[in-house]
Amino acid sequence: MHRLSFDRPRRRAAPSGGPLIASGRPDARTKLDGSAVFGADLDVPGMWWAALVPSPVAHGRLRSVDLSPARALEGVVAIGAADLAALLPGATGDPDRPIFPTDTVVYRNQPVAAVAAPTRELARRAARAVRVEVDPLPVISDLEQVFPDWPGSNAESSPYVAAHVRAREGDLDAIFQGAETVVRETYRTSSVHQVALEPHACLAEVKDGKWRVRTCTQTPFGTREDVASLLGVPEESVVVEGTWVGGGFGGKGAALLEPYALLLAKATGRPVRLALGYREEFLLGRTTLPSVIRMETAVTGGRIVGRRVRLLLDVGTSLPGRDFATGYSIGFLLGPYRTPVFEVEGYAVRTNKPAFGPHRAPFAPQCVFVLESHLDHVAREAGLDPLEFRAAHLWKEGDTTPLGQAVGPFGLVTAFELARATAAQWRADAGPDSGVGVAVGFWSTGTGAGGEVRLRLSPTDLTVVQGEREIGSGSVLAGIASVAARSLELPRERVSVAYEDTSSAPFDSGVFGSRTTAALGRAVQAASLTLLEEIGKRLGGSGPVHLAVRAGEIVAEQGSTRRPIRELCSDSERSAGGIVASGRHYGTSGTIDERKVEAGTFYPYTDFTGAAHAAQVTVDRATGTVRVTRYAAFHDVGTVIDPMTAPAQVEGGIVMGLGTALTEEALWSEDGRLLNAGLLDYRIPTLGEVPPIQVTFVEGFAGAGPFGAKGLGEPPMIPVPAAVALAVRDATGAHVTELPLSSERVARALKLL
Amino acid sequence: MTPTSLALTVNGKPRAVEDVPASERLLDTVRWRLGLKGTKEGCRSGDCGACTVLVDGVSMLSCLTLTHEVEGTSLTTIEGMADDPVGREVQNAFERAGALQCGYCTPGFVVALAGLLRERGRSATVDELLSDLGGNLCRCTGYLSIARAVALLRPEAP
Repeated sequence: MHRLSFDRPRRRAAPSGGPLIASGRPDARTKLDGSAVFGADLDVPGMWWAALVPSPVAHGRLRSVDLSPARALEGVVAIGAADLAALLPGATGDPDRPIFPTDTVVYRNQPVAAVAAPTRELARRAARAVRVEVDPLPVISDLEQVFPDWPGSNAESSPYVAAHVRAREGDLDAIFQGAETVVRETYRTSSVHQVALEPHACLAEVKDGKWRVRTCTQTPFGTREDVASLLGVPEESVVVEGTWVGGGFGGKGAALLEPYALLLAKATGRPVRLALGYREEFLLGRTTLPSVIRMETAVTGGRIVGRRVRLLLDVGTSLPGRDFATGYSIGFLLGPYRTPVFEVEGYAVRTNKPAFGPHRAPFAPQCVFVLESHLDHVAREAGLDPLEFRAAHLWKEGDTTPLGQAVGPFGLVTAFELARATAAQWRADAGPDSGVGVAVGFWSTGTGAGGEVRLRLSPTDLTVVQGEREIGSGSVLAGIASVAARSLELPRERVSVAYEDTSSAPFDSGVFGSRTTAALGRAVQAASLTLLEEIGKRLGGSGPVHLAVRAGEIVAEQGSTRRPIRELCSDSERSAGGIVASGRHYGTSGTIDERKVEAGTFYPYTDFTGAAHAAQVTVDRATGTVRVTRYAAFHDVGTVIDPMTAPAQVEGGIVMGLGTALTEEALWSEDGRLLNAGLLDYRIPTLGEVPPIQVTFVEGFAGAGPFGAKGLGEPPMIPVPAAVALAVRDATGAHVTELPLSSERVARALKLL
Repeated sequence: MTPTSLALTVNGKPRAVEDVPASERLLDTVRWRLGLKGTKEGCRSGDCGACTVLVDGVSMLSCLTLTHEVEGTSLTTIEGMADDPVGREVQNAFERAGALQCGYCTPGFVVALAGLLRERGRSATVDELLSDLGGNLCRCTGYLSIARAVALLRPEAP
């Protein structure tokens, strides 16, 4: 049942730098023996427990929040909006994002007060005792309540619109009138949750004028900035220390609980722990929300001559001006296909749900499902071979995207051809009710978000000091260590990665956007050059400096000169742990051809990475149940940095994508209630449902990362729902236009055939 | 219901816990009274397996077990795995196969698998073991590396 394999990386060009060194995960032992302390495990003597008081409705006018029944319980401290002025004298905070609402509540379970007590039980009891009176207001739970049809031209001024983007090129109406085939379709996608197994948790302490919080975060510095802004205190007064992170997937990329815990720590004068239960994790999480997408494509002579893309994206309670998702995602509905004449337009629609938040390649898998399903359908309608049709339009190096970004080294066509060949082999030995799908996706590693590291070379070891915690992908502990080892030609076992909190660590933007190994790796390379230059000066000769391990210690060599680092260190360096060198990397983001933009902000992709996936499924025609039987993934990764964690990222991303494809769907009731806030009703993939997965890396299309590497955290997730949907269509003819492809939806589509 | 004290063996050592309410979950006793945080709290509703412990060698979900139910038994948590030959074997296989990422589900998998190997003996096949691990959720690895770790423990299996 479980045939397990992954191909050896396919090498297309010799990588620069030292040899790849296979090695185990540096964090394996501490995670296997139970000693790793996650946010959820934080515990100090004298600590109090906290709980949040939730709004009982999804939308309403707040009449009163009566804390007195909670305060009447012995040993309980309760805080609400009225207490903030005393806790934060002179601070204004962020008026757009109040800690506690004072006027209206805008989503169900929005925290309206917080309590702390010496025990967990008492904190829970106190939270339940708070009397919250709200006059309910009409709830918008579905964006189609706001816009049942595509909105008219005055929609931009609607209070329900958080963002509007629009761009165009050429005369689309004329193209549509003259085209041989025009296909128009509407798709719908669902709300999905990150489901990191560790719920959000933190421990706060306020001491000596410092707001200190230990937390499981993907971005200690981002959390520091967020906390300072929300509380209205100087950034220097906030110290964030990251713990081990029990899965992030984007969900731990901003402050969530930290401000409440810190305020309670201030109010009680004690360390305060605030941790969500798993139900709350679902209820308060900021994640991917539903969408309605209209796709229109015109074809003449087997070529796309014009396309119109219209996106309505539910962004929950995202504030106007703070929506990132719409202008970011809409590009995934256009590319990676050449499109001469187009019009794209999207609205971020506000509803009474927690704000839209990042979730591993935010909303890209959904967009790619829509795009690939649509273009496959267009080809069929036009009497063309769907794979040939898509292959003929794929971006290649030297192309320019519809919004004007230059496509650099890009292995997507190579990956696509490999996936197509695999699919053809599978088709040859396929059984009945079996089908094969091939889908492609692209991603942009170059976010421009920067970071810095500090190297410390002791007589025997190299330490990379930096400010990110490992969230599981391996990008920090394996990725950065591998880059340092290759940069300085040292064995991997001589290199370790050390973490410091935001009071002393070099700045970094965060573990997100598949950027960590790529961006921090470049900072490591820069620091390595500085370190070698400094050593060169001390050696006093000229020419390149090389490090090596001789008789157990690290030596520096320059021409015929060789001296141990031990002798090159000053006394003060020796006592401080070694020679120190810093490095930074602030990448550039792409650019947008602003002449094409008529409204809003589009995201300038750059440093393209691509993937092509092949999925084989069988479909039970009676029940509509889809089983994925084989899977193959071909990833343009530039250069493989760590041979153990790279394929592991791909396997994990694919299986997460299978959840989005088949079973994961957060269901919202009309009154704004999340109906399936638990792991039994919100179904993520389990061990028995995973097909054998073959992973192949396409190397040699160099990216902007170290040694030509490109990001790999998010791309594996992107093509999965599309590949599965196309396989279902191949198997049965069922054209499903909604995600996920639940048994019910597939069965319905089969009955329509 | 009056809280009472109870005794049990924890990772080979006798321990007593005082004033345990009848409704207290074993998960909370292990984590907050015994201070063994390696046992993870995930869903608290029996859906994820992160809190798995061994009670007299049999794997149990500590979030669905009342502490008083295990009075007098021998409890093994992830912290006790290193002293157990089967536990060590499982840990080594996970390390060799790279069968972990964020690590939050890892203690539950290690303990559950050690329990299964003890319970089912050497005759259990890879597929049987994987089928019995179906109640443990992992969001990072996609399970394949975990399956490879199980395969390492069964070199004779096809």
